[in-house]
Amino acid sequence: MELVCPAGSLPALKAAVDNGADCVYLGLRDETNARNFAGLNFDVAALDQALKYAHAHGRKVLLAVNTYPQPDGWARWTSAIDLAAERGVDAVILADLGLMEYAAARHPQLRLHLSVQGSATTHEAINLYRRLFGVQRAVLPRVLAIQQVEQLIAQTEVEIEVFGFGGLCVMVEGRCQLSSYVTGESPNTAGACSPARAVRWEQTPRGLESRLGGILINRFSAGENAGYPTLCKGRFEVAEDVYYAIEEPASLNTLELLPQLARIGVRAVKIEGRQRSPAYVAQVTRVWRAAIDACRANAARFAVRPEWDAELRRVSEGRSQTLGAYHRPWK
Amino acid sequence: MKLALGPVLYYWPRERLLAFYAEASSSPVDIVYLGEAVCSRRHEMRLADWLATARRLLEAGKEVVLCSQALVESESDLRALRRLADDNEFRVEANDMSAVSLLAGRVPFVAGPHLNVYNARTLALLVRLGATRWVPPVEISRAILTAIAAERPANLEIELFAYGRLPLAFSARCFTARHYNLQKDDCQFRCLDHPDGLPLRTSDGDRFLVLNGIQTQSARVYALLGEVGALADAGVDIARISPQAERTFDVVQAFHAALQGQRPAGASVRELAGLLPAEPCNGYWHGVSGLEMVA
Amino acid sequence: MTSTGWTVPAPVAWVLERLPKLPPAWLFAQALNTVLAPRLDPELLAALAGRRVRLRVIDARVFADYTVVGNGFRALGGSGTPDVAISAAAWDFLQLARRAEDPDTLFFARRLVIEGDTELGLRLKNALDALDLPPLDASLLAPSRVFAHIGARFFLRSSPRRADPGV
Repeated sequence: MELVCPAGSLPALKAAVDNGADCVYLGLRDETNARNFAGLNFDVAALDQALKYAHAHGRKVLLAVNTYPQPDGWARWTSAIDLAAERGVDAVILADLGLMEYAAARHPQLRLHLSVQGSATTHEAINLYRRLFGVQRAVLPRVLAIQQVEQLIAQTEVEIEVFGFGGLCVMVEGRCQLSSYVTGESPNTAGACSPARAVRWEQTPRGLESRLGGILINRFSAGENAGYPTLCKGRFEVAEDVYYAIEEPASLNTLELLPQLARIGVRAVKIEGRQRSPAYVAQVTRVWRAAIDACRANAARFAVRPEWDAELRRVSEGRSQTLGAYHRPWK
Repeated sequence: MKLALGPVLYYWPRERLLAFYAEASSSPVDIVYLGEAVCSRRHEMRLADWLATARRLLEAGKEVVLCSQALVESESDLRALRRLADDNEFRVEANDMSAVSLLAGRVPFVAGPHLNVYNARTLALLVRLGATRWVPPVEISRAILTAIAAERPANLEIELFAYGRLPLAFSARCFTARHYNLQKDDCQFRCLDHPDGLPLRTSDGDRFLVLNGIQTQSARVYALLGEVGALADAGVDIARISPQAERTFDVVQAFHAALQGQRPAGASVRELAGLLPAEPCNGYWHGVSGLEMVA
Repeated sequence: MTSTGWTVPAPVAWVLERLPKLPPAWLFAQALNTVLAPRLDPELLAALAGRRVRLRVIDARVFADYTVVGNGFRALGGSGTPDVAISAAAWDFLQLARRAEDPDTLFFARRLVIEGDTELGLRLKNALDALDLPPLDASLLAPSRVFAHIGARFFLRSSPRRADPGV
């Protein structure tokens, strides 16, 4: 089972490699990837350095080109694919059908991964991408219970990658337009959920308020753990009850499921967080490397060590964790 | 331009749905979309009921399309999808890639609003797989739609979501069940109590979203009636009206009148304003935040 | 690190609060110019130009404002409204500068707040993350380097005036 770690910068990539990532995924500095934030990501020079560093250590680099090209920017997305092929990226992570068709036709040697943004939740969907483009791996949206993941894996030859840890999209990835409803930019079109330009934090007498495009998302009282200013993690009023109507600020953590994930044939576990700093990448990669190695050595006796749990909880959104959809009652 | 009645996105009792479609059969809509597009637990209507309704509408001269679900998770969801795909009597609207996979190369289908199509190349590929009509994502702007429509393959129709609360997101989690502290598997079908969804406000008191089971909608109503001329110029062949609990057929009449040029667009817009269940919005069409209303 | 390493004791904070703000702020700006400015992306410096960035050390109850003029940081006096204000305890600022802690982690724990222009704050954070060495690297901060830099600036220009301490 491969450990796939995030990098929003060269130091983050080095932190991932140094701490035991098998693969590092990253994006270019534009809207061709789903973490298009100011100052984040890689230009061509940094990509070259990333490839050199990772390959020198025998690790892979995956380039996320996982937003949906629009008519006026088509060439920007195809250049990202061409660049990946030229520079020797180990695989591209794509969501758009047209772009996949382009990649498969133009660069038949380039390995294709289906992004979580492609919203493929069944073996029927994944096998279509296989038939059409020869996709070799698919990243599953965070919507399936573990039994459903198992059934899916049994019916496809495409390698399956799942999210193991990090920020949790409670909406089906690629199926959420909440951000564009409020800010005009969505992950699909602009590569950004809750773009920073639309975010305002303000310390008020009633608490720390977060607003997105002027919409009040949350108000944290003193000492209360905070979450990202995304609409799905906001506190709203429904029938005179104010609560986290969609989801509490929490990160996904599936460490305890590791032996099961290995048994059902999951080929790679992905850590979320390209927007986070090298310190986070180092901390989380180190824990997951140790856990995967322990699981590989003896899956039957695998147990989550308290210090792993504490380390992951500390870096979690709202300092709180969930098994998400893997655990059916969450739904 | 034709008028289509989108699928009922809420969970209405069977009698209400049957009465609604009886009214649809005598309304000036050209196309009616049937079926449960949101939640696989909803069962007031079985496939046989939908097919019977479809046949009645067909007899009344309507074109009928059966909708597949936007989120397909389980083997039983897939079985339901196969039954839909194997029924060759009516066209199917594919709302996820599982449906495309089952329909591709076999029968013509409608590429629904929940497929991510944002460029002409992706659209052309779907057309090669059998799509004969495309309903763009609700967040598409006039500029992007116009550019894609300019390159559209021959014989492809474009249908735009032109009225109704915007379906913005889907989740594995049911937010209506969550509101009632119930698990999704034991939701007690609380959606039945909310024929227009469960309203959600910000802590400031602004009407913001609507919870509809696993779907999240805008509280504001997308209303492109004032833009029908621009829709036609952009290449839209069909305007979709998404049913709301009240006065849907008055809205249909207002669109029909505007499309027929029976009265000036301004008069239709004023008439529509009186029919809306909430504030209007049209920002997506104008390339800005969806909730905005551009005059 | 599971909790704050140390905090500035309240009596010290009381004293710090009452000290004139500019000289230490000016010294810090010099340190930034030695250590950081040459390594920062010109695009970031352009984005910061003319913007008032406030660093607020919560436990010390002090703040200092900075802006970018040309290729260098400059301490700003006065009490103008900052474009972005970044608040944390002294220890946490140090951990961030040493790249020992992730800003989001501190933010979730309510130990870091970015108010005002969030995008500018994020941009600054991402630029610091992208530096090959941590912003606060021991070798770069060797006193001899900082003082050599400050000294060079002193002697190249006329002596600093209090009214314009950022020169």
